[in-house]
Amino acid sequence: MSSTALKILRSGYVRGDTYVHRLDGRTKFLFFLWISIFNYVFYDVYFSTTSLAVLLGLALISRIWKIVLTVITIIAVPILILGLLILGGPVGFPENKTVIFAVVLFGYRIGFFLEGTVYVSVWSARLAVTITAALLAYLTTHPSDLAAIMLKSRIPYKFAYAFLATVQLIPILTNEISTIYQAQVSRGLNVQAKITERLKSIVVLMIPLTLGAIHQTQTRAIALESRGFSAPVEKVMLRDPRFRTSDYAFFGLMAAFTAFFIYLILTRGLVPFMQGISYVRPGG
Amino acid sequence: MTEGVKKAQPTVVTKPSGFAILQIVLIPVIAALNYVTGVVINLLKLPLFMDTWATMFGTVVAGLWVGVAGGFLYNIVMAFTFWGLPAWVWGFINVYIAVITWVFWRIGWVSIKKPLQLVLAGIIIGVTNVIPVTLINVFIFGALPTYAGTAWIYAIILNQTGSTISAVIGSAIVAEIPDKLLSLILAAVVASRMPARFSLRPQPSK
Repeated sequence: MSSTALKILRSGYVRGDTYVHRLDGRTKFLFFLWISIFNYVFYDVYFSTTSLAVLLGLALISRIWKIVLTVITIIAVPILILGLLILGGPVGFPENKTVIFAVVLFGYRIGFFLEGTVYVSVWSARLAVTITAALLAYLTTHPSDLAAIMLKSRIPYKFAYAFLATVQLIPILTNEISTIYQAQVSRGLNVQAKITERLKSIVVLMIPLTLGAIHQTQTRAIALESRGFSAPVEKVMLRDPRFRTSDYAFFGLMAAFTAFFIYLILTRGLVPFMQGISYVRPGG
Repeated sequence: MTEGVKKAQPTVVTKPSGFAILQIVLIPVIAALNYVTGVVINLLKLPLFMDTWATMFGTVVAGLWVGVAGGFLYNIVMAFTFWGLPAWVWGFINVYIAVITWVFWRIGWVSIKKPLQLVLAGIIIGVTNVIPVTLINVFIFGALPTYAGTAWIYAIILNQTGSTISAVIGSAIVAEIPDKLLSLILAAVVASRMPARFSLRPQPSK
């Protein structure tokens, strides 16, 4: 997980001049919230998988589909597989009634159930949708635009600084831990040792990293102070993101679909397309 | 002729003048340290998360707000880059961890000089943390088994009780207690090894 997450944080922004790249960061962020919320409102495999297909289409257009598929494979797919085996299987999910198929294993007949399978599929698809929407917004928005958007959205500049500094610091500290790790291995650190020895190894790796990071913190604080970070003046950004026609068109589309979704809720409820499946509360 | 006139010396700044700016700069460091610990855990192939130890460390060395903000920010960054929207709610776990660590630090339990109290504090943090973890697991992740390491415990409890919530609580207890205990010990050890010149708390005026 960490190496993929690191690749994303290190690359941060995937360059491009696609339709998604040209959209304002606020539009993409709003879309991310909008699609995530509706996916949590509806309990429907068809709805969630269609949303995911649309998002993957947008990821394909904006040329970030490889990263998106990798992240989904690492996060959502294991949850789907574990869930299907446990909740879809014969372990004891209380909603299970309808057997989809059964296999004979060591003389035992093991059934797999529709209710558990649907429950796990809906929740996994919800996760995949929100992950894809988040990556779509983050990977196609330039970091400078991200900072400008935060300030324009009246988020305190100290928070905006902290957010962007975290994104920049993670790859730096990861490179440092890699150097410290190699140095410690050359001094006899055994990563194949017993679990208690490996637990002790955390200390020898984390102390130099933490002390180094804190030393840099003091230098960074001086640098920020010397540039008037805390000065009580209005901050100005180099970039000035603005909404364009394509953003307004996107908002129009979202508004139209919101009306359609509300109509679906009023006429068909929270399970609009699945037949013979009732809504299952979180936790079964 | 120039005798008695002091030569102009360049100003050398070795410490920032204000504690507030130091706190702001430390917040992203705490968030990044939480993340990097995940990398270390991967390298050492340990069955733990340990992504709250820096929250505890930040609380101990620089105060409650640094721990709260650093821990919450870690989850915000991960939610907007890798984990997806629902994951931001894990930030509340970090807020809780910072608050409870601060309480134990105030009563003097987060110190390697008091190992018994330190272990007890770690266990209490782990046990009480099961409540917010369960709430988030149920309402955000549908009480699914999200961690392969404890999936078998989840399956056994579900089989015995027929309740996914009980299964989540059971697997959370197994995962949280050792994780939070070791995180607190690590935070206390690293804080104890910090040289005085790296001290982040404001020095009392002489």
